Amino acid sequence: MAELLQYLITGLAVGMVYSLIGLGFVVVWKSSGVANLALGAIVLISSWFTYGMLVQAGLPLWLGFPLVILFALVLGWVIERFALRPLIAQPILSLITVTLGLAYFIEGLVNFIWPWSVDALPRLFPTEPIRIGLAVVSQEYIWVASISLVMFGLLTLFFRYHKMGIAMRATADDQLAVQACGIPVTKIFSMSWMFACVVAAVGGILISSIGGITYGLVETGLKSFSVVILGGLDSFIGAIIAGPIIGLAESLGGGYLSPYIWAGVKDIIPFIIIIIVIIIRPYGLFGEERIERI
Amino acid sequence: MKSKRLLLVAGGILLAVVVAVLPLLGACAPGEKTLKIGITTPTTGPAAEKGSPMGHANLDCVEYINAELGGVGGYPVEVVWLDNAYDAAKGVTAVKKLMDEGCLMFGTASSKIMSAVMETANRAEFPGIACFTSPVLYHPPQHIYGQLPDYGDDALAFANFYMENIWKGSGKPKFALHLLNNPTGSGARDAFRAKAEELGIEIIATEEHTPTTISEMSSLTRIKALNPDVLFISSTPAPTAVIIKNAYALGMYPGITIGCAHASFTKALIDIAGADIVEGVYGTFPTVMWGEDVPAMAKMTEYCQRLHPKDYGNMDYITSWAQTLVMAEILKLALENVGYDVLAKGDVESWRAIETQGFQKLKDFDAGGLHGTVTYTPGDNRLTTYNRIYQIVNGEITNPSDWVEAPFIKYEGYDWFGQ
Amino acid sequence: MSLPTGTRDYTYAEDMAIIRTKTQWALFTGFLIFLFTTPLYLGNYWLGVANLIGITIIAATGLNILVGYCGQLSIGHAGFIAVGAYTAAILTNRLELPFLVGLICAGLTAGAIGLIFGIPSVRVKGFYLAITTIAAQFIIIWVINHWQVTGGFVGIKVPYASIGGFVFRTEASQFYLIMTIVVLCIFFAKNLARTKVGRAFIAIRDNDLAAQVMGINLFRYKLLAFFIGCFLAGIAGSLLAHWIGFLNAEQFSLTESILYIGMIIIGGLGTTLGPILGVTFLRLLQQVLTMEVVPFLESTVALPAGFASGVTPMLFGLVIILFLILEPRGLAHRWTLFKSSYRLWPFSY
Repeated sequence: MAELLQYLITGLAVGMVYSLIGLGFVVVWKSSGVANLALGAIVLISSWFTYGMLVQAGLPLWLGFPLVILFALVLGWVIERFALRPLIAQPILSLITVTLGLAYFIEGLVNFIWPWSVDALPRLFPTEPIRIGLAVVSQEYIWVASISLVMFGLLTLFFRYHKMGIAMRATADDQLAVQACGIPVTKIFSMSWMFACVVAAVGGILISSIGGITYGLVETGLKSFSVVILGGLDSFIGAIIAGPIIGLAESLGGGYLSPYIWAGVKDIIPFIIIIIVIIIRPYGLFGEERIERI
Repeated sequence: MKSKRLLLVAGGILLAVVVAVLPLLGACAPGEKTLKIGITTPTTGPAAEKGSPMGHANLDCVEYINAELGGVGGYPVEVVWLDNAYDAAKGVTAVKKLMDEGCLMFGTASSKIMSAVMETANRAEFPGIACFTSPVLYHPPQHIYGQLPDYGDDALAFANFYMENIWKGSGKPKFALHLLNNPTGSGARDAFRAKAEELGIEIIATEEHTPTTISEMSSLTRIKALNPDVLFISSTPAPTAVIIKNAYALGMYPGITIGCAHASFTKALIDIAGADIVEGVYGTFPTVMWGEDVPAMAKMTEYCQRLHPKDYGNMDYITSWAQTLVMAEILKLALENVGYDVLAKGDVESWRAIETQGFQKLKDFDAGGLHGTVTYTPGDNRLTTYNRIYQIVNGEITNPSDWVEAPFIKYEGYDWFGQ
Repeated sequence: MSLPTGTRDYTYAEDMAIIRTKTQWALFTGFLIFLFTTPLYLGNYWLGVANLIGITIIAATGLNILVGYCGQLSIGHAGFIAVGAYTAAILTNRLELPFLVGLICAGLTAGAIGLIFGIPSVRVKGFYLAITTIAAQFIIIWVINHWQVTGGFVGIKVPYASIGGFVFRTEASQFYLIMTIVVLCIFFAKNLARTKVGRAFIAIRDNDLAAQVMGINLFRYKLLAFFIGCFLAGIAGSLLAHWIGFLNAEQFSLTESILYIGMIIIGGLGTTLGPILGVTFLRLLQQVLTMEVVPFLESTVALPAGFASGVTPMLFGLVIILFLILEPRGLAHRWTLFKSSYRLWPFSY
C-alpha cells in the first residue's frame, strides 16, 4: 500500500514537470500551428542563462529571475522576427525544419558560452522531504507542480479573457479573417513565441534545479512533445492532464511490471499508452476535433 | 527578390571557398621526418563537455613532447587531430581519414565512438587506444586497446574495496545496482554477473535509468524494500545526483553505502546534488587529482595554464594528457625495436610493428604517475587495471585509497555476453 | 514540362520516358560514368564519405516516399534503419546467411515493423501521427538494448558484405555495391511516383478525404507507403551495418531521425531529386564542419575555449535556417528554376 501511494505521488509530481514544458509547446501551436522542435534547446539556454545570472554574476534571486524572464521574452521575439517571420505563408514543414535549425544554433551557442556543459543551479528549494501518509516527496516536485498549475491558470485566463489572448485564438482559427479585422497577425506570432519562451524558461529553471543543467534538457524538452500529443496539440488542459498520466504510467508501469520484463520498461509504457489513446481519440484527449470537408 | 538571389549566390560562393581552402591550409605541413599519430575526440556535439578539454590535452601534450623532450627518439610527433561530433558515422569517416593520412595509430576519448569505429580499425589492423572503455572493445582482444580500466572494472574495484574496508557484517552484503541504459551501465552489470559469486556479494536488484531522468523515487522504493547494504551507481553526474537526492529523500541515505563509477564522480555531481547530501559517498577514479605530487604534474599544469587555462581543474584533461604520454611511449618502444624506416611507411606493416613492438611491449610504464602503471599482458588489452576509491568529504572529492587492481574477466567465455 | 522546343513525341512510350533528349542522355551517361569512376580519383576517406552519403540517400528516399509523396509524417526513421541493420547483423553474423539474404530480409523486417507502427495512420493524421513513429523509435531501441539476440548494450559485430565468393573488402568495392543499390532505389522511387500507386500516394497527401471519395483505399495505400518507406530504411540499415562493421543502439538516435526529416525538406519534399540533394548537402556540410572547420579553429590557439565546439553547430543551424528562408521549397525547386533559366537564356525572366 505504501508502495502504491509512493508510485502515485511520484508519478503525479514528475508528470507535472512534463506538463509545464508541454504548455510552452501548446502556446506556439495554438497560434501558428508550428511544432517547435527547438523547445528543448530553449529550455537548455534559459537554464544556462539562469546559471549565468545567479552563479556567474552572483545576482540575488529577486533580480536574477526577472532578468531571466526578460531574456526569454527577448529570445522569443528574436526567434520569431528573424527565423520564423521570413517564412510566413510557406509550407508548414519548412517552418518546422527552421525550428530544427534553430535548435542546432542554440545548442551551439550554449556550447560556445558555457563549454563545460554540466553544472548546477544554486539550491532553490529546501531539501527536507514532505511526508504524505506513508509516502515521501521532495519539496522540489511540490514546487514544480504548483508552479505549473499557476502557469496553466494564468495562460487559460489570458486566452479566455484578455483581448490579446482572444486575438491569438482567433488567429489560430482563421488567419485571413483575423487580418481582415485589423489584428496584426505578425504581432500575435511574436507574442506567442515570447510566451512560449517564458514558459520554457520557467520549466528549465525548475527541471535543472532538480537534475542539474545538462544536455539532457534538450531531450526532456522533446519528451514533452509526446505529452502534448496525448493531451491534444492545442489544449492547455490537455497538457496539464496528460503530463500526470504519463508520469503515472511511468511510475506505476515501472513499479509493477519491472519484475516481469526487461529493465527500463518504464520508459516505454507511456508510448504504448499514447498509441492506444491516439487510436481511440485521434486528436488527443482534449484536442479540438476538426471536421473535414472536401 | 534581387537581394535574396544575391545572398544565395554569395552564400554559395562563400561555402565553396571554405570547402576549397580548408584542406589546403591543413596540407601545408613541413616535409620533415615525423612520427604521425591520429587523434579524434568528440569536441562538438552532445559530449563536447568531455571531448573538448580532452582534445586540448592531447594537443598540448604533443606540443610539450616536441618542445621539451625533442619529440620521440629525435623525431617530432605530428598529430592529425579530428573532431567526430560524438556521431558514429562521422567517427568512422574520421578513422578512415586517419588511415589515409598514414597515421601510425589513433587515440580517441569515448567508448561509444571507439565501439563504432573499432571494426573499421580491426578490419584494417589499425591499432587504436581509447581513454574510456567498455568491455566490448577488447573482448575478444583485437587491435583496440584500453587506456583506463573499463566500466566493469570500476564496479569490481569498488566491490573489492568495500569488502576489505567497509563491510563488517556477516554473510553476504546485499548490492543494489542502478545503471545508465547504455554500455556505461551494462559494463557494471556484466562485471557483477561474472564476479559476484567470487567476491562473496549478492546482487539483489538491478534498476536502469535514462540519462535524462528527473526522478528515481519509484525504482528506489523497490530497492529500499529489499534492504540493501550498498547502492552502486554506474552513470553520469546528473542522473547520479538525482538518484542520490531521491535516496536521501526516501531516508535510505545516509544509512547505506553508496558507490559511484568514475564517469559520474566529478565536481558536477556534488554541485547538482548538494554537498550536504552527497557527504560520504564513495566513488572510483582511475587518475590522480590536480595538484597531487606526481612527476608529470608540474609540466602538465604549466602547459594547461599557458595554452588552455579554462581547462585547468578538469579531470578529463589529465586522462588525455596521460593518453598522449602512453602513445609517445608506444612510439618510442616501436622505434627502438623496428627503427624509423618501418614506421615511416604509415601502412599495414607499420601498424603491425606499432602493435607488436609498441603496444604489446608496454611494461610498467608509469605515465608520469598520472594513473596506475601501464602494462600489456597477452590476451588482456586493458593497459591499466588500477583504480583508486575516493570519498566525498565536506564537498570535496578526497581521501584516495591505494591503487586497487581490477581482475581480468574473460567476458567472451561467458555465453551471456553479447548474446 | 520543361523541355526544349521542338521535342516531339510520336509514341506513348516516348512521352513517358524519363530521359527525353539527346543532351539528357549524354548528361545522364556522363554522370553515371563519373559516378562509377570516382574510386579512381578519390581516397579512402572521401569514398567513405560517399558511401555514407549513398546509404543515407537510400534511407531518405524511403522517408521521402512516406512523407513527401504520401504525406505521412514519420519521426522514427532511424529506428527503422536500426531494425534493418540488426536484422542483417543477426542473419549474417549469428546464422551466417549470405549477404543478399540478409539485405532482403532486412528490408522486409523493417517494412513489417513499419506496417505495425503504420496502423494508427488509418485514423490519426498529421502531427498526431508523429507520436506513433517517435514511439516506434523508442520501443525499437529499447528492444534492441534488452533482447539477448541483438547483443544488447554490448552490440553486435557484422562481417563484410559478400556476394558469391566475392568479399567487399575495400572501400572502393563497397562504393560500387552501395552506389548500384542507390541507383536502383532511385530508379524505383522515380518510377513509383509515376504509377497508379504513386498517384494514389499524392492524392492521399493532398487531401485524403477526397482521395477516399475517388475510390482509393486509404488503409491499403497508407500501409503500403509505410512498408515501402521502411523497406528502403531497412536496406539502408543493412548496408550501414556491413559498412560500419559494428552495431550499437546508440548509433540510431532520435536526433538522427529528426535530421532525416530536415534532409528531405531541405532537399525538397515529393521529388526524386530532393533527397539526393538534401542528403548530399547536409552530410557534406557536417563532414566539412567536423573534419575541416573544427580542427582549423582548434589549431588557432588565440580562440577562447569552446569556440570550435560552439561555432560549428551554430554554423550548421544557421545554414539550415538561411537555406529555408532563401529557398523554402527545397534545393530541388532551386534546381528546376536553374534548369529553366538555363533553357531560356538569354531571355529568362
